[in-house]
Amino acid sequence: MGAVGEAIRRRRSDLRSGLTGRALDVGLYVLILAFLFLLGTRVIEHGPDYLLQIFFFALANGAIYALIALGYTMVYGIIELINFAHGDVFAFGAFASASLIPLFGLSEGQVWGPFTILQLLAVFVVTMLLCAVLNVSIERIAYRPLRHAPRLAPLITAIGMSFFLEGAMFLWKGPSSVHYPDVLPDLSFTILGARVGVKEITVWITTIVLVVGLALFIDRSRLGKAMRATAQDRDAAQLMGIDIDRTIAATFFIGAVLAGAGGIMYGLSYNTAVFDLGFSAGLVAFTAAVFGGIGNIYGAAIGGLVLGLIRTFWDGYFDSAWSDVVIFAILIMVLVFRPTGILGMRVPEK
Amino acid sequence: MSKRFIRGLGLLLAGTFLAAACAQGGGAGGDKGEIIIATNFPTSGADRASGRGPEAGANYAVQTAATVKGFKLSVKNYDDAVNGVHDPQKGAQNFTDMVNNSKILGVVGPFNSNVARATIPVANKANLVMISPSNTNECLTQDFPYCDPKPAALRDASQPNNYFRIAAPDTVQGPAMADFAIDTLKITKIAVWSDNETFGKGVADNFAKRFTSKGGTVVVRQDFDTKTTSDFKPFLQRAKDAGAAGIYAGATSATKGCIPRAQSKGILDVPYLGPDGIGDSQCVKDAGDQATDKMYFTNAAADASQDASNKDLIDAFKKAFPQKDDSGAYTFPGYDCAKILIDAIGRAIDAAGGNMPTRKQVLQAVQDTKNLKLSTGTYSFDKNGDPTSATMAFYQYKPSKSDWDFVKQFGVGQ
Repeated sequence: MGAVGEAIRRRRSDLRSGLTGRALDVGLYVLILAFLFLLGTRVIEHGPDYLLQIFFFALANGAIYALIALGYTMVYGIIELINFAHGDVFAFGAFASASLIPLFGLSEGQVWGPFTILQLLAVFVVTMLLCAVLNVSIERIAYRPLRHAPRLAPLITAIGMSFFLEGAMFLWKGPSSVHYPDVLPDLSFTILGARVGVKEITVWITTIVLVVGLALFIDRSRLGKAMRATAQDRDAAQLMGIDIDRTIAATFFIGAVLAGAGGIMYGLSYNTAVFDLGFSAGLVAFTAAVFGGIGNIYGAAIGGLVLGLIRTFWDGYFDSAWSDVVIFAILIMVLVFRPTGILGMRVPEK
Repeated sequence: MSKRFIRGLGLLLAGTFLAAACAQGGGAGGDKGEIIIATNFPTSGADRASGRGPEAGANYAVQTAATVKGFKLSVKNYDDAVNGVHDPQKGAQNFTDMVNNSKILGVVGPFNSNVARATIPVANKANLVMISPSNTNECLTQDFPYCDPKPAALRDASQPNNYFRIAAPDTVQGPAMADFAIDTLKITKIAVWSDNETFGKGVADNFAKRFTSKGGTVVVRQDFDTKTTSDFKPFLQRAKDAGAAGIYAGATSATKGCIPRAQSKGILDVPYLGPDGIGDSQCVKDAGDQATDKMYFTNAAADASQDASNKDLIDAFKKAFPQKDDSGAYTFPGYDCAKILIDAIGRAIDAAGGNMPTRKQVLQAVQDTKNLKLSTGTYSFDKNGDPTSATMAFYQYKPSKSDWDFVKQFGVGQ
C-alpha cells in the first residue's frame, strides 16, 4: 500500500514539475515575443533613420565595452583570476589621456591637420604604455606572490588594488567629474539619413584594428602560442621551456593596452571622467566577458557589443532608468540556458 | 622582496591611520556661556561648489555678531559630502552629533532636499531648529498626494515643527522655469530628463506639469541612474527626433547635470535649462566648449546684489571671504538663515529670563519671526516652516564673462 502511494505521489510530482517547466518555457517565449513586438512598434513609430542612428551609437558603446571586456577575459583565461583592478586601469587610461592631451599640444575645438593625427596617436601610444606598466606592476605586486596561495587570496588583493587605484585617482583629480577635452573635429557624414560623427568612426576603427591585431597576435606569434599553452596547462608549458612569469606579465600588458585605448575612447565619446568610473564600467565589461564566455576572446568582443546594443537600444526606445535591470535580467536568462556564455568558456578543465 | 615590501606597506598604513587620527582642537569661553550655531552643507568635492557659499555666508553672520545678549556665539561646520557628493546618511550622522552637543541651539542647512529628508526626523525628536537656505523639495513641508514620504512621517506629531526654509519650493522653481521657457524663450516643445533623485525628479515633474498646462509639449521624458549612465546621446537623439527646441535637466552638477550639454555637440544645440543645482562652476566645466549663452538656471532665492542697500555688506563679506567658491548663489541666503537664527536666539534668551534658552524656546522664537528684513528678503514663516514670500531669480551663462549672469527676478507667493 505504502509503495503504491509513494509511486502515485511521485507520478503526480513529475507531472506537476513537467507542467510548471513547460509553463515557464511558454511564459518565457511569450515574454520575449511581447518584448520584440513592443520594440517593433517603437522602431516603426520612430522610423528607419532613427533606428540606424541608435545603431551607430550602440556600436560605439559596445566597442568600448568590448575593449575592457577583453582584458578581463584574457587574464581569467590564463590564471583564472578576476582582475577587479582592470576597470580602474581603464579609468586610469581615461584620466592619464585627459592630462596628456594638453601636454601633447591638443586642445578643444582646434584646427585639424596631418600633424594633429600624429599628436593624437602619440597620446594613444603613451596612454596605452602607461596603463600597461601599471597593470604589469599590479600583477607583480599583488598577484604573482600569491600565485600558489589559496584562490581567495588573490581575489582579495585584486579588490584591494581596485580600491587603492580608485583612492589614488581620487587624490589625483579630486572627487568631481573631470571634463575630457573634446579634441576630435566636429565633422560628420550622413549615411542613409543617420549621422556618423568622427567620434564614432574613431571608436570603430580603433576597436577593429586592436581586436584583429589581438586575434592575429594570439593565433600567429610565438608569445601568443605561449599564452595559449600557459592557459591550457601551466606546468606542462613550463616543462616545455615557456617562461610562465613573462607570459603572464605579457597577458596583463596586452589587456591594459586595450583598456587604455578604451579609456581614451570613453573620454573622447562622452567628454567626462570621474575617479570611480572604473567600477561601473568594469562591472558591465566583466558581465560582457561572462556573457560571451569567459576566457574566450571572441566571446568578450561579442559580449561587449551585445551589451552595448542592449543598453543603447533600451536608452533610445524605452525608459533609461531600467537599463541596468534589463541588462542583468538578460544576463541571468542567458546564463540559465547557457551557463558557459554565448560562445562557451575557454578555460581548461583542472 | 616580500619582507621589506610588507614592512613598507605596514609603515604606509600606519602613517595613514596617524594622519586620519589627527584631532581638531578649538573652543573658548564667554561671559554667560557659549552658544553654538551649527552649519551642515556638502563642502568637499564636486558639491563644494554649491555648499561652500552658504557655509561661508552663515560663518560670516556668526563672526560679525560674535555675541548675543552676553553669550558668546560660535559656529561649528559639518560636511555632509561623501566622495564629493551630498549623502543623506552622513547628514543624519552629523545631526546626531549636533543633537548630542547641548551647546548647539540651531542649525543652518542642509543644502540638499534628500539630506533634509534624512535629517529632519533626527533634529525633530530633539527640538533642534534647522533653517535651510536652499531646500526646495515641496514634500518636506507640504502634503501633496504624490508625496512619499509625507511631511508628517518625518516629524513626531507630539513635537512642534522644527524645520524652516527661506527658499521657494520646487512647486515654484520648476513652474517658474516653464513660464520662462514659454514666455521668454518661446519654446513649445521640450525634452525633460532627471537624475531620479528627490530633488531632480521633483523639479522635473513640476516643470513638465506647468509646461504642459501652458500649452507646451514634453516630447521626451527620461529618468537616469546617473551613477552608471554616461552616454546621453540616445536621449539627445530622441529629443532631436521629436523636434525638441529645448532641454530641461532636473539634476545637479554632482549628478552629471551638464554632461548632456557637452554631448549635445553636433546633435542638438538648443537652450539648456535647469534648476539651481546646475548653477555653478562645475556645470560650466562639464559643459566644455558647449558652455554658451544657451544655458539657464533658476535660483530659489533672491540675488542679494540686486538690492543696492546690500553693497556694503557684500563688499565687507568679500574682504573677509575672498575665495571664489565662498561667493555663490546661496551665500547670502545662508547668511540670512544664520541672521534669523541669531535674532531668534536673542528673543529666546529674553524669554528664558536672560539665561541659556532651551532648544524648544529657540524653535518657538524662529516660528514667531515676523517681517525680519534681511539681505535677500523680508521673512516670516507659515505653520509649515515655509517663508510667506519668496523670490525666484533667473541666470544665464555668459561666455564673455566666463560666469553666470543675472537675468531677472520676481517675487512668488506660496
